[in-house]
Amino acid sequence: MMRQSSPLLHVLLWVLLSLATLFPIYWLFVISVKPAVDLFTTPSLILDTFYWKNYVNVVGNATLRGYMYNSLIISTSNAALVTMLAFLSCYALSRYDLAGKENIFFWTITNRMAPAAVFLLPFFLLFTQVFVIGEWRLYDSKVGMVLLYCTFNLPFAIWTLRPTMDGIPRELDEAATVDGATTWQVIHEVVLPLARPGLAVTFILTWVFAWNEFLLAATLTSFNARTITTGLSEYVTTTGTEWGTMASIAVITLIPALIIFSMVQRHIVAGLTFGAVKE
Amino acid sequence: MAEVAVRNVIKKYGHLQVIHGVNIEIADGEFVVLVGPSGCGKSTLLRMIAGLESISGGEVLIGGRVVNDVLPKDRDIAMVFQNYALYPHKTVAENMGFPLKLKGRPKEEIAAKVRKAAEILALEKLLDRYPKQLSGGQRQRVAMGRAIVRDPQVFLFDEPLSNLDAKLRVTMRVEIKELHQRLKTTTVYVTHDQIEAMTMADKIVVMRDGHVEQIGAPLELYDRPANVFVAGFIGSPAMNFVRGRIEARDGGAAFVSDHGTVLPVPAGTAPRAEPVAYGIRPEHIDVRDGGISATISVLEPTGSETQIFAHLGGDAINAAVRERISARPGETVPLLIDPARVHLFDDKSGARI
Repeated sequence: MMRQSSPLLHVLLWVLLSLATLFPIYWLFVISVKPAVDLFTTPSLILDTFYWKNYVNVVGNATLRGYMYNSLIISTSNAALVTMLAFLSCYALSRYDLAGKENIFFWTITNRMAPAAVFLLPFFLLFTQVFVIGEWRLYDSKVGMVLLYCTFNLPFAIWTLRPTMDGIPRELDEAATVDGATTWQVIHEVVLPLARPGLAVTFILTWVFAWNEFLLAATLTSFNARTITTGLSEYVTTTGTEWGTMASIAVITLIPALIIFSMVQRHIVAGLTFGAVKE
Repeated sequence: MAEVAVRNVIKKYGHLQVIHGVNIEIADGEFVVLVGPSGCGKSTLLRMIAGLESISGGEVLIGGRVVNDVLPKDRDIAMVFQNYALYPHKTVAENMGFPLKLKGRPKEEIAAKVRKAAEILALEKLLDRYPKQLSGGQRQRVAMGRAIVRDPQVFLFDEPLSNLDAKLRVTMRVEIKELHQRLKTTTVYVTHDQIEAMTMADKIVVMRDGHVEQIGAPLELYDRPANVFVAGFIGSPAMNFVRGRIEARDGGAAFVSDHGTVLPVPAGTAPRAEPVAYGIRPEHIDVRDGGISATISVLEPTGSETQIFAHLGGDAINAAVRERISARPGETVPLLIDPARVHLFDDKSGARI
């Protein structure tokens, strides 16, 4: 017989793991509330001073506020668009007998099989040379970034959402059809509410990808659509790195993600275990 | 309410034909059961009536109107599915009221109709619960409630009792029959269970491999099965079949099995050169003096009756008798066959002679 390990050991293990996860964030926060001088003269992990000027500098900086705004708009629009498109695609893949649908499903993911950097040059050319209407270019536009992230997130979202959709019994669609529902009503009244956990997971993962993405944003934006992650890199200059300001931006960057996570946390837990147990 | 007609209906999946020109006429208010083994096409036919499967050929009429190209929502039917198909995110009341909500009926009317249906089905106390909080029988009642609030022209049931335990199945069977007697709505009911078919139907349609084998009232099918398949499918325990020929004997005729056993035939039966299948239901065999001596191989007493599995020479035979049998396996009992209850079928075609 297996020996039961003590509950105390379990608690201790979880506390240690949680601390290990939270430690870098704590460290980041400590750096963000110390003046630059303290960081190098007396490096310490103790939270002994509260130097709020780093935060004041960031919040007071209109450019940084613009970057943050861009990030929020791009990530949220992208996540909403991708989730909606993935939902409709998965509904079609799950419910209709499309010729070669398993091939379509498989090949959608191929653009995630190479590093994003591979696509940098073609995208740069497309954004600066091809998608140009008069003065307007896709380059350095929020629309451009939303569409760009769609190409990377949509396949991934389809793969994430498909099991959820397949897990919703087809009989429910049929029952609703016989009950008098149109296809749209079946989707809206039956499938959509039941797919909510999967949609929440898809939304958050897509949002986090767009929020954290650096390489493409750094290459395909310059000022108008510049995001906060690329904004961070501006504090690494030839004359030095403004660690305090960078840390405070990073802490602020964490806040929207935390808010979104806490809002959909319940669905995420349900979504990640969806279909694991037969109802 | 309405009559339903299925005329020369065909179903093909690519080159594979699964329904071969089926004809069924269902009168207004009639309870018709489609019965047959798995894969016989009964559920496919029901789904074609519902509009969930396209019709490859022929016509389906509901209330005199051809509905081949009519959407399910416009056929004025209600369907109860095998796995109930309740919406898990809606309460019992919302599930039952959903068809009316889709029709855009006022909330007060929906609430009143749901309440009335809930009263009929004893669901009043469960209206605020979700499907996962209900037992199998309760879920089945909610599915029926969802069907009756619409007051449809036709009810369709697709093996609705298959997921219930044996005891609950009997209870629900009675409830569905009571409901039909009360509402008198035309009903098409699919099952693979011939007991369900016999006990519930006004008319049974026996299907096999996409063909209709026989249509008739339950006792008509029991008393005069059209062929070997129907004879074997309807009735429990199943009919005994022995292969052999009808030969002239003692101024009349008698059946002689391939193993040489001689069995009585109905009066007026003429001898035949072609081989026949001799059918006798277990319940039409008695243990009585003057019967043919059979060796018992297994006895199954159930209290109300005893099943005897025995051998008549080289032929296996099963008898179900009311008496309690004191004999033991290996011993012999006299089995008396009532010739008037014997069924004879052509051995090659299986058709009734």
